[in-house]
Amino acid sequence: MRRGCLAICALVALCAWPHSLRAQARDSLTARLESAIAQYERGDRDSAKREFSRLINIYNARGGRLTDQELVVVAVALSYLGADEPQAFKDAMAVYDRAIAADPSNLEARVKLAELFLSKYNSADAKKTIAQVFSRNNDYVPALILEARRRDFDGEPGADSVLARALQREPENVGARVLRARFLADVEDFAGARREVDRALRANDANAEALAAGLALAVLAGDTGSNVSYGRRYKSLYPREAGAHVAVAEQLARVRQYEAAASWAREGVRIDSTNWQAHSVLGLNLLRLGEIVEARTSLETSFAGDPYNIWVKNTLDLLDTFTEYDEITHGRFRFMIEKAESRVMALYLGALADSAYATFSKRYGFSTTKPIRMEVYRSHADFSVRTVGLSGLGALGVSFGNTVAFISPAAKDAGMLNWASTAWHELAHTFTLGATDNRIPRWLSEGLSVYEERRGRRGWGQNVSPAFLQAYLDGKLLPPSRLNDGFVRPAYPQQVIFSYYQASLVCELIARDFGERALMEMLQGYRTGLSTDQVVRRVLKTDLPAFDRRFDAYMRERFGSAMNAVRDRSYLRIVATGRALLRRGDSAAAVAPLERARALFPEYGGGDGAYPHLVAALLAKGDRKRAAEVLSTMVGLGDVPYEIHVTRADLLLQTGDTAGAANALESAMFMNPYEIAEHERLAGLYTRIGERRKAIRERQAVVALNPVDRAEAYYQLAVAYRDAGATMDARRSILRALEDAPHFERAQELLLQLHEGNKP
Amino acid sequence: MRSRWRRSRNDVRRLTFDVGRLTLNALAVGLIAASSVHAQTSLVIVSGIGGEAKYTKAFGQLSSALAEAAHGRAKLADTSIIWLGDTAASAAKSRWYSGLSTRVNVERVLDGLADRRDGQVVVVLIGHGSGEGPETRISLPGPDMTATDFARVLSRFGNRRVAFINLTSASGDMLPLVAAPNRVVMTATKSAFQRNESQFARFFVDALSRDGADTDKDGRISLLEAFKYAESETKRYYETGGKLATENAQMADEGQLAGRFFLNAGGGGVGAGSNARLTALYAERSAFDDQIQSLKKRKTQMTADAYDAELERLLLALARKAREIRQLERGA
Repeated sequence: MRRGCLAICALVALCAWPHSLRAQARDSLTARLESAIAQYERGDRDSAKREFSRLINIYNARGGRLTDQELVVVAVALSYLGADEPQAFKDAMAVYDRAIAADPSNLEARVKLAELFLSKYNSADAKKTIAQVFSRNNDYVPALILEARRRDFDGEPGADSVLARALQREPENVGARVLRARFLADVEDFAGARREVDRALRANDANAEALAAGLALAVLAGDTGSNVSYGRRYKSLYPREAGAHVAVAEQLARVRQYEAAASWAREGVRIDSTNWQAHSVLGLNLLRLGEIVEARTSLETSFAGDPYNIWVKNTLDLLDTFTEYDEITHGRFRFMIEKAESRVMALYLGALADSAYATFSKRYGFSTTKPIRMEVYRSHADFSVRTVGLSGLGALGVSFGNTVAFISPAAKDAGMLNWASTAWHELAHTFTLGATDNRIPRWLSEGLSVYEERRGRRGWGQNVSPAFLQAYLDGKLLPPSRLNDGFVRPAYPQQVIFSYYQASLVCELIARDFGERALMEMLQGYRTGLSTDQVVRRVLKTDLPAFDRRFDAYMRERFGSAMNAVRDRSYLRIVATGRALLRRGDSAAAVAPLERARALFPEYGGGDGAYPHLVAALLAKGDRKRAAEVLSTMVGLGDVPYEIHVTRADLLLQTGDTAGAANALESAMFMNPYEIAEHERLAGLYTRIGERRKAIRERQAVVALNPVDRAEAYYQLAVAYRDAGATMDARRSILRALEDAPHFERAQELLLQLHEGNKP
Repeated sequence: MRSRWRRSRNDVRRLTFDVGRLTLNALAVGLIAASSVHAQTSLVIVSGIGGEAKYTKAFGQLSSALAEAAHGRAKLADTSIIWLGDTAASAAKSRWYSGLSTRVNVERVLDGLADRRDGQVVVVLIGHGSGEGPETRISLPGPDMTATDFARVLSRFGNRRVAFINLTSASGDMLPLVAAPNRVVMTATKSAFQRNESQFARFFVDALSRDGADTDKDGRISLLEAFKYAESETKRYYETGGKLATENAQMADEGQLAGRFFLNAGGGGVGAGSNARLTALYAERSAFDDQIQSLKKRKTQMTADAYDAELERLLLALARKAREIRQLERGA
């Protein structure tokens, strides 16, 4: 793993290492290591490796007599040798451990060990090791820098503040400045990022990482002059290094420019075929582009060179499972769905994808030439690996542009999930990314996707909650101008989810005050490379501070009364009163407070709010009609569990609303499409209201779920086809029924009728 | 469900009560013996003690539903259905409740049936299971019955058709110990270590009490169909509920008897009797059946279109024949 080396070098070569080496210039081992690293960076790798090997020989000859600092030198040499022999990484860790044992106060050894862990995606051990450093010196700058990286890696709050502490102590620390540049680029503050890189280069104009970061930002900004300048300088100093190409590729991938990222990574591989990180970055970006076969080749090359890269290993393990999936072509789409559920999911996904395509291509003026790949995962862990290479991602779906992945409702580890609104959300990204040439900022892309969810179907998409309003009241929501931070570097666990909803509100505000057209014009602005500040000035004719104030006013206007009820806690208090009455069995008395609570915060339909308890109270009173009405309002406010949809269907049927009941069951299928009995019921309802195509789909779903009584399922499908006038399909289905049960009397009669051209 | 049920002091009272019911049990066995001449299938349901109200209720409901299905759908005579349950089951006042499910009573009923020397017997165990190997047991009022006990009692049936269906938890080890020629044995679990409440039990009873398990649409549900239905629905239950399966049913069926083993052993439509036309039609229908079976075996060697065309031709012929038979049967 070359990146193993360079990742180590990220700290070693750029900040702590030269510092410590110079401090011990008279030490012969240190001097030899420094010389070997210089050879390595100049491109004379064979000489460098010979020297690294000699250092290992010294260790073998004098192991017991080396000082802790000399052991660190050996460990660094081993890390370089790990590029050719992965076992050397393990040896490096063991030698760092020896160095620490020899002198527990050697903080440099601990930081380098932690860095090695982190470079192998082992953040847990990195965290422990860094904590050991902090227990001895809470202000040790290399440890602060590494901790900032670790927190960023883990998505843990505080990366910025830890890095700020490091910069406070060493304002010109090159590694810290470069890391700050990356953090700023992550929140799409590219101007700020460039300022940081410039400052780092003023401190050390030959620094590889700073030059690479400068190149990445120049490429991102389309700044050809700087691009050429940084590129030339890097090449002259590090002629055989692909680190800059990898840095550019990673930066491009972070802002969703996957095709360009793959291109840069490919060039990196050409420059240095032993740069395993370049192979992995290439493979992962090809995977995002849906180029599965080529991606696998790159990832396997990477893994052969660096078997410790957990991301690559997990991804290859995931690719091994792709044989368990069906690939289904549906018009412009390619679905990849696990065989166990491919038939039933494809039934719904096809119509949904077509509808999304028609809606979004028209709205965003973008259509794809390549097929859109949609992957559905039954394991949240697999989805997580597909997305970020590691398990534990909180998201339910991801869009890489033309490749979309989301979690199946069968995922045991996903919790309540509306797979259809998730797919709709991700497909909206496909179009907003496409319409802006992937230049749309994260906050707007997410905002539009949530906004589109709510427009897609009643009840889809996030809605307001007491917790969201409380966060607003507590000043914990970011203004629109800084909303990207809420996604990329959340300050508290719920901030990401609040940011999704808030971003959708920003879109609503723009649509209300400036018209839908303004949203499209904003996308056009981003497409041409404008920043958010420029886009807001050009399209909304205002500046960001003013827009922030406008949004603040919008929040107070829209949620004013609900905010008051949240602020003085009257909402939850009144709900609690209603619940207590309900628990005591006094449902009649419970209705009034619950109705009052609902009036205070009518937009909140969550489980701890007024609606579900009001429905229960009304049902207990026997007022089914009113209960059905309240329930209908509630399901329109956001996702509810599957059982609620089914209950609603029952209630509507009892009140004679067959079409409404069908609609409720249709919504239930977006939460759980696996209940055969509900498909049968829905088929019956559609038949009753004359929705013959949908009745066929429901009968197809029953067949797809492989019921025990397949003959009956095929028979019912044949009947649905016959009713819709699809005689040939009916004949094919009835054959399948009779193939299983040749003496099935009703099926025999239908077969005869179909042949005789009679209806029963 | 807990993995095993520990008896309380109440059992002592149950044992005492048990003795008091022997007369009734003896009467029940006598009834079976008296009606045995005409009975083709005897169903013996043994439901164990629940230990907790919810299990007592669940075992009672399952037993009652099974008896109801045997009577209502499979048309077994009342006297061919024997339900031995715990004291709570007796409170259900089911017309099929025949006494306490003590070991003495269970052995007495099975011995009585063995003495009849004709007809097929279906034994269904419902309740908590525990133990391992020969000591695999169902929790009964008083002493439990083990795999060894059942193997011994069932051996008295010799080569008669017997189905032994153990729907209890942790029942798996019983299978090899009671398996025998001409005997279908099913257990709800594959080992003694699958000790959670068996979902298979309720789906097995569902199979016999509801539509959906008759996959060949012959109007009857074989034990094989019931097993497959319950197995499939159990799997679906765990999958759709996002749960990890804690049970795997298993079956021993030497001689592939289960597909031909029905509760209503004497069913199967109207006989041709002396109607020569019907006799001929049955033979012709049977010939089409054979052709269809033969075609299905060749399916993989044919194109889909060719297969479907030939299948349709045969099925149409069979359907016409079946229609003719039905018309004649109705006339008869």
